Amino acid sequence: MVLQTLLPGRLAAQLVLLGGFGLLAGAVLPVAAQTPTNTLRSQQLPAVRVAGLRPTRFAVGSRQLVLDSVALNNYRSGTVADALGARTAIYLKNYGPGQLSSIALRGTSARHTAVLWNGFNINLPSLGEADFALLPVNGTTQVEVQPGPAGATYGNGAVGGTLRLSAAANSPADWGRGWHGTAQGDYGSFGLGAGLAKAGFSNEKVALRTSFNYRRADNDFPFYIGEGRSRVQQRQKNAAFRQASFTQDATLRLGQRGELSAAVWLTDAGRQIQPGIGTNNTNAQERDQSRRLMASYRRVSTRREWTVRTAWFEDVINYRDDLSGLSESTVRTSQAQAEHTWRLAPNASVRLGGEAQHFAAQVDGYGAAPRTENRYSGFLLLRYDPRPRLQLSLNLRQAVLPGQPPPLTPTAGAEWLALAAGRHALSLKGNASRSYRAPTLNERYWRPGGNPNLLPEESFGYEAGLAYTYKTTVLTLQNELTAYRQLVDNWVQWTPGDSYWSPRNLRQVRAQGLEASSTLGWQPGAYRLTARGSYAFTSTEKTQGAAADADPVGRQLPFVPRHTVALSTDHGWRGWQLGTTLTYTGYRYTDASATDFLPGYLLLNASVGRTLAVAPAWQLLVLAQGFNLTNNTYQNYQNRALPGRNASLSLRLLWR
Amino acid sequence: MKPFIAFTSLTGRLLLGSAAALTLLACDPDNDPNPGAAPVVTNSVFVINEGNFGRSNADISLFSKASNSVINRSLFASATNATLGDVAQSMAVRDSLGYIVVNNSNKLEVVSLAKFRSKATIKDLMLPRYFVAASSDKGYVTETVSYTAANGRVSVIDLKANRVVKTIEVGSQPERLAVVGSRLYVTNSGGNTVTVINTNTDVVEGTITVGDGPNSVVADRDGAVWVLSGGQVAYNPDFSIDYSRTTKGSLARIVPGQLMATTREVPSNLSAPGRLTINGSLDQLYYTYLGGVYTLGINEATLPTTPLIKRGSFYGLGVDPQDGTIYGGLASFTAADKVIRFRNTGAAIDSFTVLAGPNGFVFY
Repeated sequence: MVLQTLLPGRLAAQLVLLGGFGLLAGAVLPVAAQTPTNTLRSQQLPAVRVAGLRPTRFAVGSRQLVLDSVALNNYRSGTVADALGARTAIYLKNYGPGQLSSIALRGTSARHTAVLWNGFNINLPSLGEADFALLPVNGTTQVEVQPGPAGATYGNGAVGGTLRLSAAANSPADWGRGWHGTAQGDYGSFGLGAGLAKAGFSNEKVALRTSFNYRRADNDFPFYIGEGRSRVQQRQKNAAFRQASFTQDATLRLGQRGELSAAVWLTDAGRQIQPGIGTNNTNAQERDQSRRLMASYRRVSTRREWTVRTAWFEDVINYRDDLSGLSESTVRTSQAQAEHTWRLAPNASVRLGGEAQHFAAQVDGYGAAPRTENRYSGFLLLRYDPRPRLQLSLNLRQAVLPGQPPPLTPTAGAEWLALAAGRHALSLKGNASRSYRAPTLNERYWRPGGNPNLLPEESFGYEAGLAYTYKTTVLTLQNELTAYRQLVDNWVQWTPGDSYWSPRNLRQVRAQGLEASSTLGWQPGAYRLTARGSYAFTSTEKTQGAAADADPVGRQLPFVPRHTVALSTDHGWRGWQLGTTLTYTGYRYTDASATDFLPGYLLLNASVGRTLAVAPAWQLLVLAQGFNLTNNTYQNYQNRALPGRNASLSLRLLWR
Repeated sequence: MKPFIAFTSLTGRLLLGSAAALTLLACDPDNDPNPGAAPVVTNSVFVINEGNFGRSNADISLFSKASNSVINRSLFASATNATLGDVAQSMAVRDSLGYIVVNNSNKLEVVSLAKFRSKATIKDLMLPRYFVAASSDKGYVTETVSYTAANGRVSVIDLKANRVVKTIEVGSQPERLAVVGSRLYVTNSGGNTVTVINTNTDVVEGTITVGDGPNSVVADRDGAVWVLSGGQVAYNPDFSIDYSRTTKGSLARIVPGQLMATTREVPSNLSAPGRLTINGSLDQLYYTYLGGVYTLGINEATLPTTPLIKRGSFYGLGVDPQDGTIYGGLASFTAADKVIRFRNTGAAIDSFTVLAGPNGFVFY
């Protein structure tokens, strides 16, 4: 949430929702923007074509948070961290503006969220997690979050939840658009500058999209520290960053049944590593580069569907500081997936598939020799709707990892449309799942300390929820309430040994909580309002541990807030727009004994903008945004400074 | 003038070696030639909590011997309304002042012991480790300089002006140090030497070869200097420890005024001994080894083979100079960590909770 305060993504953020959808010349169906938590979205492809089955078809009974391309258009020069922070009550641990931003879904650690791009896991194989500040939104058409375990459906690491990014043309609106383009420039506090350019073309045969974005900031913001009875101002040092990304997507329809797609996603970020308050500035800097290529072929008929996908990733992390010198890390991942789906009947489908991954790591911390590792898994997914209002899914996955394999991981889910009367609809849903997480390359190979005998983490979790929708011609109200519980076993923790730290399977952790969300859309006339509120209660604690685990049981894990709230309003009237977001992040303990904590904080942001038609098919948006308007001094992570009140201005030009 | 002892102990994080340092100060050899005989009274125990690297959450906990309880878990923060800094490596006392070496903040924080108010901050050190005062006017700090530096250094501090007046290059990764008479002994843990510096001229007088990895140093009642070395760990290509090439730790005794030592090796190279500490009468040595605490008298002919305390691996070790009570700090770095107290017989007394990473104790 904090990160966004500097990000141009916010600029784009409220633009579209507020300003009106006409801005997005030729863009996606505007209605979709009103349904960010829509779980029952139906896809309507041209009648002659048969749609492929989306993975969520086999994820019955799970909560789904969807940020579709319309919603994401607001964050196009920002990062996934910005979008999630503004639209959800998900907690992201953040080390400073533009710095490491890691997710904690449902009380688990960042390694317990699987991040998939076009179906491939893009968590850094060395760390086993993704830095959400390094995932620009610009190249992505849709972000979907499925909280909760779903190892059978999504594979390794889908313990706390799964985040899916898709880039390829996957909605009917992506086809037949002709040419379109966008350009944007941002200017803001503390040396923030950003620009993006995006162009695309599609007819009914081919869809192409190219995008490029760049942003930078000096981040030399002032902050305050206590000293005696007074507050002393300091200026943040060594926190500048620059970040660029390029994406190219192409999808080609081969006849009525075949579809070939390919995607390239390049990201390159150079960051100074912001030192903690009171910590020696060693001029640390990090270069993060990821090169991701993928291609897939899908063939769909009325009764069968098969897909093959292959991908190659290269993830580079080069770190340097004055004290330790340079530490380099390059991991290349080659992988392939194949799956076959049988549509046994309109209400029953079966998908059988497998995946293979090969990791080749050249990491200074692992020694001079390259390390390689292979992982495999096979899965069987079933979907059956015994009655029109009742949906069931049952999934199984067995992974094969180096060392001891994880157990068979099944997932079962059910969803029942209990009430559908006029304007009211009420659904009940629930699911249960086993999941697993393979030890990361660092956990296995880091020298010293790497532990090749680590067992995979295992979890068992379940959830139940209800979703209520009320809809009239001018008003839509969606409410959702979910309760969950999960036990994670063999939880890995790095602990100090005689002479170095080492990861061990130390403990069992229980995470449980409640998630509530409400979205109101109201459009009585020219005025349009979208209001959202979401709240998450998260209780996560160690329940038992090995003898070597000194941490007490029954205490909230550090850096997981018990309470998070996100409220936002977006107002649009003719060419004007006004937006507000208010987030509350509750206290977070900083130690496993749950004694010291960082206080909770409120963050208020607001934006105002105007849309101008400058020529036929050309529109210009001018947007001013203010962040941390109450000028709070607060910390997200311990002793990492964050800026006070700040602002930005952006101009956006849209063509068609 | 009150003799005092500062016990601290080191971090294992950077494998720089470790041990307990005794700094014997305030014992002007001219008018107090036999400091070991002076009675020592201590009322308080300052526990140095190293904190988590990069999080600036180091602080000092104050334990009262009168009430057998922690009076203030975060003494510096509550007294000054500021954070102490990142990685409190050690603390030593001179007169009524405490000198806290804050490693990853590159500073030496000077506090009044009465109210723990900040009196001065000596900045721009380079990865400082340990401090010792030679007099009320002069102190010394060891500095790693950088993890890749061939040699570390010792900075000479003017304790009246609270500023660095000179730096002296010593060996690799200097750790604990001790002043005996007019000589400063500096353990160079990255090698196998002790640098001897004349405290009148601040010039290196010479180096003494000891066992691999000297990490801690104390002086006994006879003025002999004891240096504990951890040994040098050799690694296989897969980074497991190669015990066929790993050298054993050792205990060296340096005769005052001589630049040579007699060295005895510990029995096994499976563990690196560290945190050498001495009792109040300056005749009994203590150190951590093989997951326990070992002890021997200064006149014993052989090193002990059985531990006095067999209780996990202590990250910090201290011995109360008044009554010989042994303090062991357990460090998880995740939870609020514990200190266990033992009688000098090795029998456990009680435990109390401090902050993350208790690495040393100062008795005052």
